[in-house]
This record gives sequence, C-alpha cells and structure tokens, in this order.
Amino acid sequence: DSADVNSCLAQKRREPNMATVVEKSTKERLLSVLDDLEVLSRELIEMLALSRSQKLPQTGEDTQILELLVQRDRVFQELMEVAQQQGKVHQEMQLLEKEVEKRDSDIQQLQKQLKEAEHILATAVYQAKEKLKSIDKARKGSISSEEIIKYAHRISASNAVCAPLNWVPGDPRRPYPTDLEMRSGMLGHMANLPTNGVNGHLPGDALAAGRLPDVLTPHYPWQSSDVSVGLLPPHHGNDFGLEPPGHNKENEDDVEAMSTDSSSSSSDSD
Amino acid sequence: MAVSQPRQEKESEDCSLLPLVHDIIKCMDKDSQDVHQELTKLKAKIQEAREQISNMPGVDSSPPEQQQQLATLQEQVRTKNQLLQKYKSLCMFDVPKAS
Repeated sequence: DSADVNSCLAQKRREPNMATVVEKSTKERLLSVLDDLEVLSRELIEMLALSRSQKLPQTGEDTQILELLVQRDRVFQELMEVAQQQGKVHQEMQLLEKEVEKRDSDIQQLQKQLKEAEHILATAVYQAKEKLKSIDKARKGSISSEEIIKYAHRISASNAVCAPLNWVPGDPRRPYPTDLEMRSGMLGHMANLPTNGVNGHLPGDALAAGRLPDVLTPHYPWQSSDVSVGLLPPHHGNDFGLEPPGHNKENEDDVEAMSTDSSSSSSDSD
Repeated sequence: MAVSQPRQEKESEDCSLLPLVHDIIKCMDKDSQDVHQELTKLKAKIQEAREQISNMPGVDSSPPEQQQQLATLQEQVRTKNQLLQKYKSLCMFDVPKAS
C-alpha cells in the first residue's frame, strides 16, 4: 500500500512532464485518477484505523495522504467537467458525421448520373464516327449516276427485270421462263422419271396423282402431250411457235394473262 | 449559463469521493457500527464512477485530439459542400434535385 502511495506521489511529480508525451485520453486519465483515489482513501482509512487501535502517535504521513487525496479529488472533478464538455463536442461531431454521410450519398448520386451521361455521350460519339466512316467509304466508292443508269438499262434491256409496257399476249419478251422453257429444263426432265410417267404431273404431284377427282385436276397444256414435252430440246430457243398442243385458254382467263405461254393462234383443247 | 452552472457544480460535487471518506472517518471517530456501511457505500460509489466513465461518449480521446477531429469533420463538410455546389452548377443535364 505504501508502494502505491509512493507511486501516486511520483506520478504527481511526473505529471507536468507528461504533456510532452502523447496525451492520454480523458477516459484513461479519469480511470487512473479514480484508481489513485481508491488507493489513497483505503490507505488513509487503514492508517487511521491502525493508529486508533494501536494508540500510536500519528506521523505526518496521514496528512500527506490526505493532501494527496484532496488533490486527486480535485483533479478528478476537473477531469469530469472536461469529460462533460467532450460529450457535448462528441454530439456535435455526430451531427457533422451525419452531414458528411449525406454529402457522400449526394456525391455518389451525382457520380452515377455523370457516368450515365458519359456513357450516352460515348455511344453518340461512336455512332457518329461510324457514320462518318460510312460516308467516307461511300465517297471513295462513288460511281457516276450515268454509269448506274447505263447498267440498269443493260440488265433490263433483255426484259429480264420487267416486261415491256406495251406487252400483249404473244409477245415473247418476258421476265420469267415459259412453261415450255421450264419443261425443257432440269425440272421438266425430272418429270420423265419412271415413277411419274402416268399422267405427266409434276414430281411433287406424284402423291396427289390418282387421288384427285378429274374435275379438280388442273388442266395444264402439257397434260395430253406429256410425251411430246419430253422430246423438246432442253434449251429454249426463239422458236415460240412450237406451242404445246392441248392448250386450254379458258382456264387461263382466271390467271394473270402474262403467266402463260399463250399465242394468238392457240387451239382449244378439252 | 448561470442557471446551468449551479447544476454543474452539483454534478461535480456528486462525483467527489471526499464527503464519503469524511463520513467514514467520522464514524471511526465515533466508533460507530456504520463504518462498514460507509465503506460499502464508498466502494459502490467508486464502482459506479468507473461504469459511468466507461459509458461516457467522446472521452476516448484527449481534448486536443477531439478538437482536431472536430476540425477535420468541419473541413470535410465544407469541402464536400463546395464540391457539390461546383458539380451542380456545371451539370447541363436534366437531373433530379437531390434532397
């Protein structure tokens, strides 16, 4: 116990030098002073009890301890006031921290919006650059309108694009192949396969052949002359006089006039 | 402040242990049986003071440190306000007002 008292005295002497070292927190100081108070009060009470019980004369030590006790108590009270002030400052700091948080969230919100704006602008700039590239590319590959018109004239000169405006039945100029031409081609030759030599329907109609009633079977020009169709040359020439017999003009009335290979001298057939 | 000062003085007197020590010494002088009771009171008061100190807010730093922290926070708030003001005045887009 006397060692504790001595340490208190030593601390009291040291205290002015403590300011140069890193300051302890108020909490640490308060707890330290409280410990000192506890030790000093215990020491004093024990000393007084002992001196009374043993009827010994009091040395000056109890006065010394008492003085120390009073001094520590004063320090304790001062520190408690400081602690209360710090409590108020702490409240103010908490309010400021809330302000800081709010500002942080505002800044984050703005940052998000700026990011979005940057993205929109970057996309717009990219698209504009692509457009400029296309414009540049188009300029490099530019052709005179005269050439384009010439080319258009050339490909449409053979009526491969559109029949002439003054087209009439019998006019050989057309943008599609005639039945005769189709029959003379590969598809037409496919009709000569063994499985489909009966009534001259198209290969696709092979299954339907024999199932449809006669009334419903389409009347195509080649039906009654399927053999002669097979003998036709594979390439079509300009010999459009070679009309397939059995041409039925009646049924073609419902069809667009230009879709059949008709001639003005076609003979009707049943 | 005049109204709060007496209250502050009362509070500082409340945390003083001297009255209790004085009571103990008086009891010892009278050879009263209340000595133990007073001793118990003193111990309880000390323990109570310890708990109170542990729960006190803002005492984890020294006053100068705390003042520094306060100044830092104030500076932060000021800087962030300035930043926000600058961005809001720069922004040409239709942004919703942040409350």
